[in-house]
Formats: sequence, structure tokens, C-alpha cells
Amino acid sequence: MSILVNSGTKVICQGITGTQATFHIRRSLDYGTKVVGGVTPGKGGEMHLGLPVFNSVKEAKEATGANASVMYVPAPYVRSAVREAAEAELDLAVCIADGVPIKDMMEIKAMLKDAPTRLIGPNTPGIITPGEARLGIFPENIHRPGKIGIVSRSSTLTYEAVLETSRAGEGQSTVIGLGDDMLIGVDFVDALERFHQDKDTRAIVMIGQLGGTFEEVAAKYYKEIAHKKPVIGFVAGNAIPFGHKMGYAGDIISNGHISAQDKKDAMEDAGIIVVDNINDIHKELAKLAA
Amino acid sequence: MNIHEYQAKQILSQYGIKIPKGGIAYTPLEAKKAAFRASLRGPWMLKAQIQSGARNKGYFLEKGSGRRGGVRLIKSRRDIIKNAEQMLGSTLVTVQTGPRGKLVSRLYVEAFNKVERIFYAGLVIDRVNAALTLLVAPIKDEDISQIAINNPEKILKINLDLDGETSPEQVQRVMEFLKLKPQSARSLETYINGMHRAFVDYDATMIETNPVGVMKNGDLVALDAKISFDDNALFRHPEIRRLQDDYEASERELQAARYRFGYSEFNGSVGCIVNGDGIALAAMDALRAQNTGTACFLNVKGGVDKDKIASGIKIIMTNPRVEGILINILGGFLRCNLIADGIISAASEVGLNVPLVVRFEGTNKDEAREILEKSKLPVIMADTMEDAVNKLVKAMEEND
Repeated sequence: MSILVNSGTKVICQGITGTQATFHIRRSLDYGTKVVGGVTPGKGGEMHLGLPVFNSVKEAKEATGANASVMYVPAPYVRSAVREAAEAELDLAVCIADGVPIKDMMEIKAMLKDAPTRLIGPNTPGIITPGEARLGIFPENIHRPGKIGIVSRSSTLTYEAVLETSRAGEGQSTVIGLGDDMLIGVDFVDALERFHQDKDTRAIVMIGQLGGTFEEVAAKYYKEIAHKKPVIGFVAGNAIPFGHKMGYAGDIISNGHISAQDKKDAMEDAGIIVVDNINDIHKELAKLAA
Repeated sequence: MNIHEYQAKQILSQYGIKIPKGGIAYTPLEAKKAAFRASLRGPWMLKAQIQSGARNKGYFLEKGSGRRGGVRLIKSRRDIIKNAEQMLGSTLVTVQTGPRGKLVSRLYVEAFNKVERIFYAGLVIDRVNAALTLLVAPIKDEDISQIAINNPEKILKINLDLDGETSPEQVQRVMEFLKLKPQSARSLETYINGMHRAFVDYDATMIETNPVGVMKNGDLVALDAKISFDDNALFRHPEIRRLQDDYEASERELQAARYRFGYSEFNGSVGCIVNGDGIALAAMDALRAQNTGTACFLNVKGGVDKDKIASGIKIIMTNPRVEGILINILGGFLRCNLIADGIISAASEVGLNVPLVVRFEGTNKDEAREILEKSKLPVIMADTMEDAVNKLVKAMEEND
């Protein structure tokens, strides 16, 4: 079992004929991901990496039965790419690009409110269910199937968390990078909820960082649910002495609670096991296993 | 990207928001002229144009700059030149600039506007709800930063639509919350709509006017203004990009920006080279746990150009504060071997005079280790971030 993607997920790639997409889709195919086609407007009817290319997501879905998309389109085109995925009513869209304008993301979030499509990202390494499906840019060789769910805002710390599970002799059920941007699609609450529903996920590693209040909201959610799976948390950014900031509006929106320590306190208060050093995660995982 | 107060005020005034009469000055003489143009008799405000809040509570590092802060009320004509001389070319430190402060190279000189009361008005993005949020609060004894922490209920928060105008009901709520007199109604509507439209039109991430003054006739006037823009949307606004003040950034920050790398400076002694903000923060945390501070970090992101990476590494190697270098790369998109090549190329140009610890993980890590081992550079290899931090701290102690 897993969350959001598995060996049955039929994936199309938006922007498949680009260089990055070509590199990563080939790796995802080698990994066993069921990639069934791609979309590049104007190149419909061609073949790429042995896969049919379509002009639109809608056409691709009708022809292949795809239910998920991974998009490698550049930031200025993300808004229209997500709109297409949502209008085709795909279950999942994974957006790798960094540099998506915030206003575009606000429009995307508003658009997705009434759509069946869940968005992961942008600015994310994607999502991987080890041994089954890889949507994104993960270095797949560090993953192996197992029982630990991982959810992280930072790309690089996602890999760090995966390595920690390996040090503890564990594998991963599913690994999700939420994305490093100011506004993101799937958040900690979505991920925690799904990991709790997944029978095969035994414990969850949650990696937060300075900025925003996503961790506080997740802590509040976790505190209130009745049947809790163990969550090990880490928040990066304790050593930042002062923000290189302008004005106070950012502080106000988070009620003055802005430090990494504030997030850690909220998580600990909710019953999450918080580590101060990310390289201590394997020790906590070992304790849980014992 | 941030801009200066006077630039922010000019943008807001395009939307009908009232601002005090004023002008910009680079020299004391220009300050005097600008002052007389704004008001013949005064009083005037001399305001240091650095991109920071709390300038009025700041102080100048230089002894000859007087005891007053970066925002000064000037009542007599002869004090204009004297104060402008004290402020221009001096370094202003505020709670938001950090201890090294910022150089004041220009002043904004305004006519002093007599107001009956003041309030705070800001527009910001609520990240959890992906919404635009208007923030207003009356200001009396506490400033807005204190209110945010001590009495957050004294701040009204209203979510605004991304498109369109602020509704009359929303304006009415603000009227009632601030207990403004009816004569301010029209001015408030213009004010809120102006901020709202400027925010959306220019892809802002924050607009703050702290404070807004209420004049005797009920009109509102922006006594200060800050605007931050979304760097990722600047391609849509070349006219905003031109407002960038290069003096706000250090030479090294500008170099890093040229290569589209992330770069930040702090007060410690370790230079970090990483490929993500998260890993940078985690490395800084791990260093701090060993009582070691970070001097700067460079985020090469998903860089694929070997020469650019070498240039980035040079920025760190030539930073005089750096007494040790930590390179922590978790290759996904980024291939570790490019970093290894970059290290060798940078070291051959500028020399490697401080301990350097490298930790590679992910894409092409074995190839990268091999490249460094063959190079005969005195590089210390590490397996985990913890290991890297421990080895670096030890090597720096031995190097002392």
C-alpha cells in the first residue's frame, strides 16, 4: 500500500519532449512507473521515448485512461498546464518547476477548490512510492519499499529523511515533497491524513522549515485526531538569527509566531516526536521499532 | 525584491492614495532644496532611504551622526543641512538590518503632515488559505510589532478577492473597526482599493503603510510605505525591475544573483555550499549546535553549468569572513560530479586556504568523490551531514 500513487497509477507527462522531461521520464520508465503518454501542444501524433504524444491533456486521458500527470513545463506555463489537468479531471498533478509567480499560484489554488485534482508542488522533487511509481526528479536509488511515510517541504531534506530511514533499516511507503514555495498544493494536513488512512504506513517523518504556518496547522490537526500513528518531526531554520525581512506584515499574519522553535513547540505540544538534528531521525525510528 | 519608501509612495499615489509632498536628496544641499519645495516654513521630515522597518528607532554607527535615528522631524531651516550631513553616507542599524546596518546614500525629504491619529494598514498573502489578506490596526501606545505578539485580536484581518475591488461591506467593516468618522469614508475606500489594485497589478507580495495618518478633514495620508515584489513575476514588470537598488546588496550577493544562485550572509565563520534552502537551514542548525556560526550560504539549486558553479564556489572561497567551508550536496537534479569539478576549478584560481569538508549523496556521488581524490586537494570527505559538521569544526580548531 501507499498514498496517492502506486503501480496502478497511469501517468502522462506534460511537456514530455523537453530535455529535463526526457531525462526524468526515461528514468521513471526504467523504475517501472506506468507512464502511458505525454502532452506537448503541436506535437500530437508523434512518438517520444516510445510513448504517444498528444496535443492536450484531455486527448491524452481519453486515449490512455491516464489519471495522473507529472509536469516539467517552465514556471510561466504552469498556470495553464494545471488548468488543463484540472479540466481533464485527473486525480493528481505533480508540478516540478520552481519560480512560479505567487499570483499564478493563488489563481491555481482558487481554480482547484472545486476540482477533483490534487496538486503536488510546485518546486517539488515530486512523489515516489518505492518499487512502484516515481513522478518527479527523485534520485530513485536511495529509496526502498517499506513502512515509513515521509512528507517534507524541502527537496534536499526529503532525501536526507530517506537516508535516515535507511540508516534505521527501514524503507518508505510513499515519499512526498510538498514543495519549497510560498504557496503549495497538497500540504502537511493532506499528507498526514492520507498516511493515517494507509494500512501499510506505520510511522511518519515530517520535515518542516522556517516560513509560513503550515507546520502549526498540521500540528493542530494531529493533536485533534483520535488514532495517531507516530510522527517524527524536524524543522529547519533554528539558527537563522534574524530574517532578512522588510516590514511586519509577515509576522502579523502568523500572530508573531515565526521562528522554527515556535513550530517545534507546536508540534511537540501535539504529540509529535521532534528532533533537533535531522541526523537523529534514525535513532527515533529505531526506538519506535523496538 | 524590495524598493525604497519614496518609490513605494510614488506607486501608491498613482492609485489615488494621498502622500505628503516630498523629494529625494543625495546631498545636504539637495535636501535643503527638496525641503523648501515641499514646504516653505516646515516642519519637515528627513527620512533615510534604506530598505528596513523601524528606521526611526535605529541608530547610526558613526559618532558624528548624532544620537537621533533614521527618521527625523526637523523644525528649523538651519537644522536641515546639519541633519542631512549627519545621515548621508552613514550606516543605519535597525532591528531589521542586523548589526552591520545599511549605508544611507539618499534621503527622502517631506513636508510634515499634522494628523489627528494614526493606524496600520498592510496587505499580505495568507499562505495557508492562499488568499490576499488586508490587515488594519489602530496604533496608540504599542507599535504594530508589539500588537502582533501581545494583542493580535486588535488587528482586523479581511480576505480580499484576487480579482476586482474591495467590496463596500469590507470597507465599512474597516470603518467600524477603526472607528473612523464618516468624513473619512471616501478616502478610506480609495485607500484600500488603491493598495488592493497595486498589489494585484504589480505582483506584490507585501504592501505595508505604517502608519496611515488621519488628517483633520478626514483624509487619509500614507506617512510611510513599503512594497515587496514577487521575484518570480518580475519578468512581467520590467519597470519594477529597474527600481532595484544595487547598493542594498553586497558585491557577493550581486554576483550570486547574476548566476541565479541563492546567497545570504550572516555573522559566523563557516561558508556553506548547498543545493537547497532546507539543507542550508539544517546545516546552519547543525553548526550552531556545535557553537559555530555561519558566515554565508550559497544555494546552487539545480545548477547544471560547471563554470557557473565554479564562480559560485569562488564567491565563498574569497569571502574574508570564511574560516572553513562546508559543501553538502544531495544530488537529485544536480549531479555531484559538477560540484567536484567546480571545487577544483575554483581552488585552482583563488587557492584553498581554509579547511574544506565535502559530503556528497545522490546522483553521481561516487564519481564526484573520485574526482576530488584524484585532484590531491586537501579536501576532507564526510558521509553524513552530522559527520561533515563534526569534521569541519575539528579541522577549524586545529587550523587556529
